[in-house]
Amino acid sequence: VTSRFDATTTTTCGYCGVGCRLEAHRADGHIASISPAMDGPANKGHTCVKGRFAHQFARSRDRLTAPLVRESGGFRLATWDEAIARIADAFGRIKAEHGPDAIAGLASSRATNEDCYVMQRLMRAAVGTHNIDNCSRVCHSPTSWALRKSFGMSGATGSFDDIEAAEAALLIGVNPTQGHPVVGARIKQAAIKGLKLVTADPRRIELADYGQIHLGMRPGTNAALLNGLAHVIIRDGFVDEQFVAERTEGYEALAELVEAYTPEAVEEITTVPAADLVTAAHVYGSAERACILWGLGVTEHRYGSECVRMICNLALLTGNVGRPGAALLPLRGQNNVQGSSDHGALPDTFTDYRHVSDEAVASSFEERWGVKMKREAGMKIPEMFDAAVDGRLKAMYIFGEDVAQTDPNTEHVIHALESLDFLVCQDIFETETTKYGDVILPASAFLEKTGTFSNAERRVQLVEAANDPPGSAKTDFEILTTVSRALGYEMGYETPADVMDEIAEMTPRYAGISHERIGRRGLQWPVAPDGTDTPILYEDEFSLPGGRGSFAVLPYKPPGDAADEEFPLILVTGRRLEHYNAGTMTRRTGNLTLMSSDSLEVHPDDAAELGLAEGETVTLRSRRGQIKLPVQITTRIEPGHVFTAFHFPEVRTNLLIGPSADVNTSCPEYKVVAVAIEPAGDRISEPLAAEPAVSA
Amino acid sequence: VRIQVDGLPVDVEPGTTILEAAQAVGRYVPTLCFDDRMAPFGACRVCMVSVEGAAAPVAACTTPCRDDMRVDTTDDTSRRIAAATVELVLSELPEPPAEHTELGTVARFFGIREPRWEGEVRRPSHDKRHPYLALQHELCISCGRCVRACDEIQGAFALTATGRGFHSGITAGLDSGFVDSTCVSCGACADTCPTDAITEHTLLDLASAYTGDGGTA
Repeated sequence: VTSRFDATTTTTCGYCGVGCRLEAHRADGHIASISPAMDGPANKGHTCVKGRFAHQFARSRDRLTAPLVRESGGFRLATWDEAIARIADAFGRIKAEHGPDAIAGLASSRATNEDCYVMQRLMRAAVGTHNIDNCSRVCHSPTSWALRKSFGMSGATGSFDDIEAAEAALLIGVNPTQGHPVVGARIKQAAIKGLKLVTADPRRIELADYGQIHLGMRPGTNAALLNGLAHVIIRDGFVDEQFVAERTEGYEALAELVEAYTPEAVEEITTVPAADLVTAAHVYGSAERACILWGLGVTEHRYGSECVRMICNLALLTGNVGRPGAALLPLRGQNNVQGSSDHGALPDTFTDYRHVSDEAVASSFEERWGVKMKREAGMKIPEMFDAAVDGRLKAMYIFGEDVAQTDPNTEHVIHALESLDFLVCQDIFETETTKYGDVILPASAFLEKTGTFSNAERRVQLVEAANDPPGSAKTDFEILTTVSRALGYEMGYETPADVMDEIAEMTPRYAGISHERIGRRGLQWPVAPDGTDTPILYEDEFSLPGGRGSFAVLPYKPPGDAADEEFPLILVTGRRLEHYNAGTMTRRTGNLTLMSSDSLEVHPDDAAELGLAEGETVTLRSRRGQIKLPVQITTRIEPGHVFTAFHFPEVRTNLLIGPSADVNTSCPEYKVVAVAIEPAGDRISEPLAAEPAVSA
Repeated sequence: VRIQVDGLPVDVEPGTTILEAAQAVGRYVPTLCFDDRMAPFGACRVCMVSVEGAAAPVAACTTPCRDDMRVDTTDDTSRRIAAATVELVLSELPEPPAEHTELGTVARFFGIREPRWEGEVRRPSHDKRHPYLALQHELCISCGRCVRACDEIQGAFALTATGRGFHSGITAGLDSGFVDSTCVSCGACADTCPTDAITEHTLLDLASAYTGDGGTA
């Protein structure tokens, strides 16, 4: 085929965690088109409206193309030298006056593994603090915690190919055709060809129409539902007794606990009809090979981490782990949620989740980096904001994350950002968060950088620059290593490939990973020194002491918020197909034409009771705040619940979300918020914190 | 199953098509309606090959291999049938296919420049309402790839083949355009289209006209 393009670069998509391999075609100095790579292991020649089309943001006129520094209430353009000198001065002064733990950094699950590793080294070695975290804190940290407790390692146990190899699949708290469209399409095609689906979600998701049974549980009652499924699996003889005897521990205690979770008792809590729960348990339990997929509808709850452990229980009971077609597949929200945490951008762990108090590991990094480090963990994101408000945290370096738009309890976040003495933001656009910055550094989009992303299958895939960053913007690798040098700490890397070589050297499970070896197919960790990778985990034993999988014996506990007289409805938030998270990228593309504003999904019964008309603008009020948006009447949502997304800054959905969070990981409870709907105009919108003028 | 393609022996799994076997030994067989992401369709009759002992040429994409089959992909009769089919397709188009398209590649392979047949050609009819996808109805050759990609890769079921004969084509939804159909804008249709009947707005200016001189595939 004769090419119309000047160059074509194969890279990995920077939107969700599916990890589609893409061909980025350049003509006349910009990306003219993107098409799917035919040999992409996760996408197999397909991609979605985001990966294929939503790339014009990269040449948006709004791109940050030069550093900005704060001056007399606004911002002005600065040279790189000046911007970086300001950072070095401020960090040096704060470190001298308050110690290194008065500084904190956020790495980004949008950035590469190499960027995240360099960022955590910057904080740990150049600054001298374990105050480093990343945005997986607010999405899949409960998954990571639970998989480590139940099985030993923090990642999907298999691959997306297990979906087609399975007889049945349970989808809980996830809406793949919207949030992870390419995997959604794979599931739909598999279902058309006979895969038996069970869907469980407060909304009747599209895939429910292709399934055997849909369970529409009340938000916040996942634990009762999961224990109920375990009850029926045990009661009706679907336990893989040999597997349980040889490869697990804790079965008796679980069996005793779930005795009480009869379908009838579970119906009381979840509103799911008892017969439907039984059907669902039979579909999953009777399959020879069954997968479970879940998303933030499981994790973003007060007991989200415990519910992931209950998901693991179901797989252990039925022996559906460690075999083809029997995988546990958490669908990761961002392109590199897996990798940012794998690579040590967490306050308590180095690479591969090895704790900072592990003497052997900590001293190996001390030797490699030539510094001394504490053996106590640093602050998680919510603790950073609390500490900023208290005055214990003086400076933050936020890289590729718009916390003022996406984190819960927005007013508290903004108060924290305002309380800081010094804030560095490194991003591709001005955002809600950069408004509070002192220095803003113009960074690179995924199409402009080199490195690797790790997808939801633990697959490390190459990212290659298809274009240059605009103006004087730089790659994140170059910015972070330059800042480190200005802080008096030379990291000694020439390219991101050097960073991966250090990661492999320092991390036994990633020992065989190198950019050269990754090639076009990627490598699924653990990767042996000879390059052998691991599509399926736990084929013979679990990575826990004794090699046995661990049942979790945990009861249902009610969520952090509940409907009452004043706030009679429960709000669930989620994602739309056309947009992505804060919308920073997708709102700057034609996707805005496809979906230009958000709406509040309301069941017809609730709409009738409240006298709401389709399209009418309403005020949605929680105990925390209020927003305005138009109503969309749909039977996709159950009565008593309402739904909206969080992609539009003019809606500011996260103003409504309170401080309730997962008990083990501090992941916010985005998914259960008691709200009231009122006609708009009754109340005046509460003003946000004053926004500093931007003059750049 | 062992067969021979142009004298080259190849062992394949039962159920493998002649096209797959030919590709496995590096023999090029031109295709228009074939895309290995979807089930074979056998509509375009461009992948015709001869099989020793068979009465007439067969479509390589839908014919399964049988033991000891001897396939000739360069057989004159097969080539003549396929070339005539492509020439007929081209004769309906208002302009030669763009260089980069699969139709352009196939036309070059058969050495077709100007179709010998004159007559009515399709009139331009464009739908550019979607923010990314552009429909150029006159370039549609009814290969069905977009419809099958929408069904078999994405599962949106937004596209339908409509009309008959000279008036056949594809339509999104109930002729309402992509945006108002069940289309999810995945672009699989544009990706598979062999003629740019469905393409991206951004690519319209980059397409260069077919000259027949672009070399062989």
